[in-house]
Amino acid sequence: MERGLIFNIQRYAVHDGSGIRTVVFLQGCPLHCLWCSNPESQGAVKPVTWYKNGQAKTVGQWYTLDAVLAEIEKDEIFYQTSGGGITLSGGECLVQADFSAALLRAVKSLGIPTAIETTGALPITAINKVLPYTDEVLFDLKIMAQPLAKQVIGDNVAFVKASFEAALQASETTVIPRIPLIPGYTAQMDNLHQIIDYLHQCGVKKVHLLPFHQYGSQKYHDLNRAYALEKTPLLTSEAITQIHDLFTAENIDAVVYGLD
Amino acid sequence: MTTSTTTNDRPAFETTRTNTHLETMKANLFRQKRQISLERAKLYTQSYQQTIGEPTIIRRAKATAAILDHVAISIRPDERLVGNRTIRPRSGILSPEMDPYWIMSEIDTIDHRPQDQFEFTPEDKIYYQEVLLPYWSGHSMKDFINAQITPDVQQAQKDLVIKLNQTDKGQGHIIMDFEQILQHGLGYFKQQLTEKIAQQPMNDFFKAAKIVFEAVTRHFDRYADLAARLAQAETTPSYRQIELTEMAAMCRRLRTAKPTTFYEALQLLWLVSIAAQYESNASSLSLGRMDQYLYPFYQTSKAQGTSDEFIREILGDFYLKTNDVVLLRSAESAKCFAGFPTGYTVALGGYDKYGQYAVNPLSYEMLDLYEAIQLPQPNLSVRINAQIPRRFLNKTCETIRLGTGIPMLFNDEVCVPGFLSKGVTLDDARDYAVVGCVETTIPGKTYGLHDIALFNLLRIFELTLAALKDVPEVTYDLLRQTLLANIDHYVAIVTKGSDIVDLGHRTFAPTPFLSTLISDCLANGQDVTAGGARYNFSGIQGIGEPNLADALYAVNQLVFVNHEMTFKALVQQLDHNFAGSDGEALRQHLIHDFDKYGNDNAELDLECAKIFRHFALELDKYKNIRGGAFNAGAYTVSAHIPLGHDVGATPDGRKAHDQLADGGLSPMVGRDHLGPTAVLKSVSKIDNTLAVNGSLLNLKFSPDTLKGDAGIRKFADFLLAFTQLKIRHVQFNIQSKATLLDAQKHPENYAGLVVRVAGYSAFFVDLNKQIQDDIIARAEHRL
Ligand code: SF4
Repeated sequence: MERGLIFNIQRYAVHDGSGIRTVVFLQGCPLHCLWCSNPESQGAVKPVTWYKNGQAKTVGQWYTLDAVLAEIEKDEIFYQTSGGGITLSGGECLVQADFSAALLRAVKSLGIPTAIETTGALPITAINKVLPYTDEVLFDLKIMAQPLAKQVIGDNVAFVKASFEAALQASETTVIPRIPLIPGYTAQMDNLHQIIDYLHQCGVKKVHLLPFHQYGSQKYHDLNRAYALEKTPLLTSEAITQIHDLFTAENIDAVVYGLD
Repeated sequence: MTTSTTTNDRPAFETTRTNTHLETMKANLFRQKRQISLERAKLYTQSYQQTIGEPTIIRRAKATAAILDHVAISIRPDERLVGNRTIRPRSGILSPEMDPYWIMSEIDTIDHRPQDQFEFTPEDKIYYQEVLLPYWSGHSMKDFINAQITPDVQQAQKDLVIKLNQTDKGQGHIIMDFEQILQHGLGYFKQQLTEKIAQQPMNDFFKAAKIVFEAVTRHFDRYADLAARLAQAETTPSYRQIELTEMAAMCRRLRTAKPTTFYEALQLLWLVSIAAQYESNASSLSLGRMDQYLYPFYQTSKAQGTSDEFIREILGDFYLKTNDVVLLRSAESAKCFAGFPTGYTVALGGYDKYGQYAVNPLSYEMLDLYEAIQLPQPNLSVRINAQIPRRFLNKTCETIRLGTGIPMLFNDEVCVPGFLSKGVTLDDARDYAVVGCVETTIPGKTYGLHDIALFNLLRIFELTLAALKDVPEVTYDLLRQTLLANIDHYVAIVTKGSDIVDLGHRTFAPTPFLSTLISDCLANGQDVTAGGARYNFSGIQGIGEPNLADALYAVNQLVFVNHEMTFKALVQQLDHNFAGSDGEALRQHLIHDFDKYGNDNAELDLECAKIFRHFALELDKYKNIRGGAFNAGAYTVSAHIPLGHDVGATPDGRKAHDQLADGGLSPMVGRDHLGPTAVLKSVSKIDNTLAVNGSLLNLKFSPDTLKGDAGIRKFADFLLAFTQLKIRHVQFNIQSKATLLDAQKHPENYAGLVVRVAGYSAFFVDLNKQIQDDIIARAEHRL
């Protein structure tokens, strides 16, 4: 039987994607982004223990396909009225590509819209497994220069690009590139220019910008881990606007999250 | 239609003022402290002293007529509509004929009690003690009811399982047939009564009704005279003079004629409503489907060129007036209904008799005007169903986003079948409206005693646990069967108790004026209290379903599934209120390690649903003294605090005397953690259609969930899912915690902050700290 390791199922997600969604967070990620807000999901597909108020708490629970489907189906009526559906997130949902594909396939067969959030940092076979059952890919583009990407977050830019292009080619799938704007890292001008060049190459005309936030900081505490961006200030709205304008000037439609 | 006209052919009195005048009137409403007014009580009593020996219904009618003829009246500056129940705004009115005693026990505390204070002047206190109290002592409705109460009813009250309501004031919770009165005018009804009296000269109901109708006519005359006097008193020609002149003329017309304009319709509507207030001093003489029955007048006036501004001005005046009438309640009752809900409830939209969604420009205007005024009354609600136009749904969402809890939503897909199941015709069921806080009724056709009794299911569960404590080998089945048997036992008693109160109102407090405007009293020649209405319900509120769901589930898992401890040991812990560290550890275990209602656990939710169903069907076995059905409700309004006080520690981890889940069907505070979709799913497991009398669900959203167009879109989609889930009612509080905490600290900065308490909204600063804390603590659903 297919089993997946899931560390959270969040219902009534209304701030990401269309409609009212259920987000399934899958354990495991090959990267180690310094700004990661789900650090408990990093590394191999195995449960993680942390301490909250002195109490040990295990994160990550094995679900059969039927068990997770049962959770997803609970909000079916809300997907129907809102055009929402499910989103697989993580971690990196492609790490458990077989389970993800089986889940997406089952969900899609119920007429429920599907989406994944991915960085595409795995060999192309992974994303190819899920694409036939995925209506929307929210594709994170982070650091584009290879040695730097490897050094800072353990990323493989070649994998990322191949996965991204595969997603673009999937005719039934919408791809939305997203850029987390991390001061000192992804939000550097030269990196942004590299992203723009790459989007031009691929003929992509829109992008979502996710300004840096500090929501994950408590988790580093709970995991007893150092948090490199503890002191990193949030981007000012001028800085965000400046980045937004940079994309617009390049004829790329940029949507900024959380900014009214 | 009137003497002077402006250049653009509009009557001069329709000239509107600047927007600030509503603001000024609003401020004036709240400038003085609330006071008790003995005027009604005095006039009523004086009249009674002169009618000894006459039939009760005639005495009541004459007393009401005496009030209408002699009560001091006023037209306040800037008012366009006449009709103030008291000269001083927001005065509390006593009806010692119903219960002269409660006020005595609070006579020296009422000005500083925790909730809803009123000033009581020293002279009035003396008059009350020396004249009113002695006169009514031993002769009030309360005395009658107390004498009738049987030992079993008394025991059930002592057991804290049942509470009987409306034993100290009028029944209320009723909607008169405003459509008819607006269509025909007062004269028509007087004429009808005259004919009936000619046909049936022995019928006291007709005679009594006519006495009051004639007094209402004279009441219009009194206002006409006053307006004319005030117009003359204006020293220089002014707009005010023109306005007052028109008001005088309008009152003269309306004394018999039917209204023809929107202005006249509003005036007649309000004065009829005030007359009914004088007659019964009751909570919730509600307004019904205002956007429907006023719409023909709105159309006529618009066609005649009346401006939107003028319509807004007079409707605004009407809105303000509904806040002028406050209800004086006993300290106990004020705990349950904190912040003066007077129940000028309005239902907008919903199915019409053709099964189509009925919404019109006035429905939008009424929401818009609410946004401009933002006072707790009228308590607007919107009827939602599968056909609601998106535009109206969006408008509704935007109004809710203001954060004041208005409007609340009622689901036609539940309420209509609910009434059908009780023998209401399809046309009538589709015409339902809201009375009181969250009760539903058929306007103009129902005497529903919607707030007659509270029935504490959680307390019955507690008594069940205690009764089984020493039984060897208790099983879950036995526990459940005993619980159901106890429910049956108390259901028999609560119906009996309700009937006693019902009979008390019939014997002491017939309401001939109100009854004439309820079908089929005029045809039957019977008062509503005597069973003259077409529909004759009594509503019994089942209390504590969410806590019961959690408690049942926890007992079953802990004792019977996991065998973690014996039944007896658990009950002992409850008896000791989880004392000591073991007790506290057990309590934490119960709270954290067993699933709770509100988290979409079908097994748990359905078990509670079965108990509620049993309760509702058991009530169905009884008929009240008017031949009508007993309908189950599932709401506490703000009584979840006092009713919680009646219940000891329970296996959901709730300590003795702690509050119950708020509202009625909302999850216990702090126990739901999967967000609002999961809450709706849990609530939907309880067959809401069975809660014919009413149910209440509070949801609290943080403002950022509703930001922007996307926020509105998703909120509207959420409500469509609510509709499909067949949940009866929902209301929202959209205030950030930070705002409320600040308001608690600096009440002076938040005089106008309106929040949802329960089935109604109130001023946050009018609530006592406990209720404020509770509102702050209610789960804030956000992402
Ligand atoms: S890819 Fe996502 S989950 Fe993985 S480390 Fe980076 S931010 Fe965290």
